[in-house]
Amino acid sequence: MIGSGHLASYLLLLLSGAAVTLKLSLGALALGSLGGVALGAMRSSRLALLRLPALLYIEGLRSIPFVILLFLIFYAMPLALDIDIPPYPAAISALSLHCSAYMAEVVRSGIESVPKGQWEAAASLGLGYVRIMRLVVLPQALRVMIPPTIGVYVSTIKESSLASIVGFVELLGQGMAIRESNAGRSTADVLVAVAFGYFAICFTLSRLGQHLERRTISTASVRR
Amino acid sequence: MYDFNVRVLLPYLPVFGKGALLTLEISALAILISFPCGLVGALMRISGSPLLRALGTGYVEVVRNIPLLVVLYVLFYALPVYGVPLNAFTAGVLGLSINSIAFTIEIFRGGFAAIPAGQHEAASALGLGPVQSLLLVIIPQVFRIVLPTLGNQVVSVVLGSAQASIIGVTELTYQTQSIGSATFRYFELFTMAALFYILCAQLIGAVWRLFTGRAAKAPLGI
Repeated sequence: MIGSGHLASYLLLLLSGAAVTLKLSLGALALGSLGGVALGAMRSSRLALLRLPALLYIEGLRSIPFVILLFLIFYAMPLALDIDIPPYPAAISALSLHCSAYMAEVVRSGIESVPKGQWEAAASLGLGYVRIMRLVVLPQALRVMIPPTIGVYVSTIKESSLASIVGFVELLGQGMAIRESNAGRSTADVLVAVAFGYFAICFTLSRLGQHLERRTISTASVRR
Repeated sequence: MYDFNVRVLLPYLPVFGKGALLTLEISALAILISFPCGLVGALMRISGSPLLRALGTGYVEVVRNIPLLVVLYVLFYALPVYGVPLNAFTAGVLGLSINSIAFTIEIFRGGFAAIPAGQHEAASALGLGPVQSLLLVIIPQVFRIVLPTLGNQVVSVVLGSAQASIIGVTELTYQTQSIGSATFRYFELFTMAALFYILCAQLIGAVWRLFTGRAAKAPLGI
């Protein structure tokens, strides 16, 4: 039961599972962040034509469980579109969509945290929308966005564990495979090891975020 | 072109409805358990005792950094190994609660941090003891601050409850899947499930805002 002698031989398998979790999550975080910035900018736009679709997308995706989104892509889309969607593309696209909706809210509140005077000052200097965003607003919004961004990243990494239920073997999938190959004898050890794997990844990311936050705040105050 | 057909699903509507009720039931139980525990946990985190503080902080850090599904698996698959067999329902409610408590502790802690020190001083100047000032002065104000965020937590518990289907709790997501394997109408079914959750989340949000908006405007009894 608690005797972890045989666990050592599984550690390598679990480590490779953790590497797969990292790969899957990093891909989804990159895609989700790009989508989130675009959607967040749309959401805070003055044009209803841009704002409303973004609002619907964000509210809709934030109101459905990640499991349902994953099942829609993995089970429903192949039937509706008559195509084959293997577990990995299904998992990474569901995670990216999910992450982009939550990131969009972070980006929106970041943009809104920048005082209107900054927009007006930049516009009076003759800058266009894109340059105002890139040179004036986003650099200032970024500081406010760090803690909630880390929160979204951590929760996306945790949600990536659900990829295991559509048959994609990442950290949790690897753990459950080991459990099955042993007729359940090492269940507790393996699950604790899997939990520790997620903890190590997410805790490190949170600490990194806190460090980054402290640094940006101190450099920002110096610049002022 | 896909033939979108909801009519074949009509006979399954009662099963779908039963699943929806169970979703609401396990979510409500998890919320009823996690909100009071979250308040206690937050009090531990701001208490003078280093031991209680460390316990509270450790709990939050550990649970917040582990996926809900792993917690559910530990309760459902690993606890029986140690002679604690839990059925799916109990493991589901417990797992959702354990997860939600960690987030609720952080919400309440944020509320306590937002109360100015002057409130504590004023309460003790009026001759209130620590417990009295907490119950009569501090906590009522904390509630007003955290109410909107607690509403988000209610929604996130309902959304998280879909994961209980994976350990076999026969709630909405579980029933949707099982009707799907009988009819192969996954597209219609998961669309219906998605609409149910969207409706739930939006309704909870609207009702909560209505209810807490009034609470936030009401004058404090000070």
